[in-house]
Amino acid sequence: MIFLAKLGIGVLGTALVGGAALSSEGFIYVNVQEKHPGGTHVHVFVPAALVPTALHFVPRHNFADSAHDMRDALPIIDAAIPALNECPDGVLVEVKDPGEHVLVTKRGGSIIVDVNDPDETVHVSVPLIAAQSAIHQIAEARLMD
Amino acid sequence: MKPTKSLFPALALSSAILLTATLAMAASATRYLHVKVTNPTSHELVRVNVPLILAEKIIPAINHGELRDGKIHIGHMNADEVNVRAILDALKTAPEGEFVTVQNAGDNVRVAKEHGQVVVHVLDKDSKENVDVTVPWDVVEALVSNTADDQLNVEAAIKALQNVGDTTLVRVSGSDENVRVWIDSRNTDSE
Repeated sequence: MIFLAKLGIGVLGTALVGGAALSSEGFIYVNVQEKHPGGTHVHVFVPAALVPTALHFVPRHNFADSAHDMRDALPIIDAAIPALNECPDGVLVEVKDPGEHVLVTKRGGSIIVDVNDPDETVHVSVPLIAAQSAIHQIAEARLMD
Repeated sequence: MKPTKSLFPALALSSAILLTATLAMAASATRYLHVKVTNPTSHELVRVNVPLILAEKIIPAINHGELRDGKIHIGHMNADEVNVRAILDALKTAPEGEFVTVQNAGDNVRVAKEHGQVVVHVLDKDSKENVDVTVPWDVVEALVSNTADDQLNVEAAIKALQNVGDTTLVRVSGSDENVRVWIDSRNTDSE
């Protein structure tokens, strides 16, 4: 009985520590809803800490073109993301016309993009720090080969 | 009388703390550059709210095309033998007042130095479009500081904008589109 209790505490502790580590960088949330009848609804909620690990399993050649472009933009990204992280929350960009509404906001440590057009609604929330580390990983993909 | 007297130091101290806190909050408030474009006919709206601190960090990191090290290269600042920097130096020492007024059949143009700001007003009579540009003098000076003849110091101008009060820099109003560019400490574009 004591052994089972110790095992339970161990499993619970590991789950808690693992959960805390996974959620330490926040969560990436993607929600796409097609508006036509029977339209697809995509709902993704992933711990941002998983992204660097997941990128390790993507074949490097898939990053070839984007890696080159991103390497050029790295100094700007490295300057922009920490500065944006320190900025107060608020709307950064809004584009509205009779058929479409696009909203880019900064909330907490995340950048959020909402698109509402006649065909679908899209909501994407990405933690800034996770985005920065993912971009670095993609940019350095070719260098690691 | 006595209780009032004994309260005075405490009141003075709390007022001083309140004033210091207010000043500190005012000093640390994030300044925003807002751009709002509206089209009353098509009901289109574009609004951009950029924290100046963000622009201040990004601009020096961009080394692409004509923008390098926070400075933008302008092709012909000495256009047609007119030295823009020399004109700005002359404007700096000139007293406030109207410098240029052009009135013809097509448009009216007015350039003046008013209340420490360079003010440009253009009215296009054909399109009924009004353009008002107001640039604080500190920003004009920052734009040409530490630059070669054909450069404008964008980084310094943004730093200078941090210190100017709430002001509208550009306002374009026409029948098709209205544009407003302004600076304040609000993170929304409410006027």
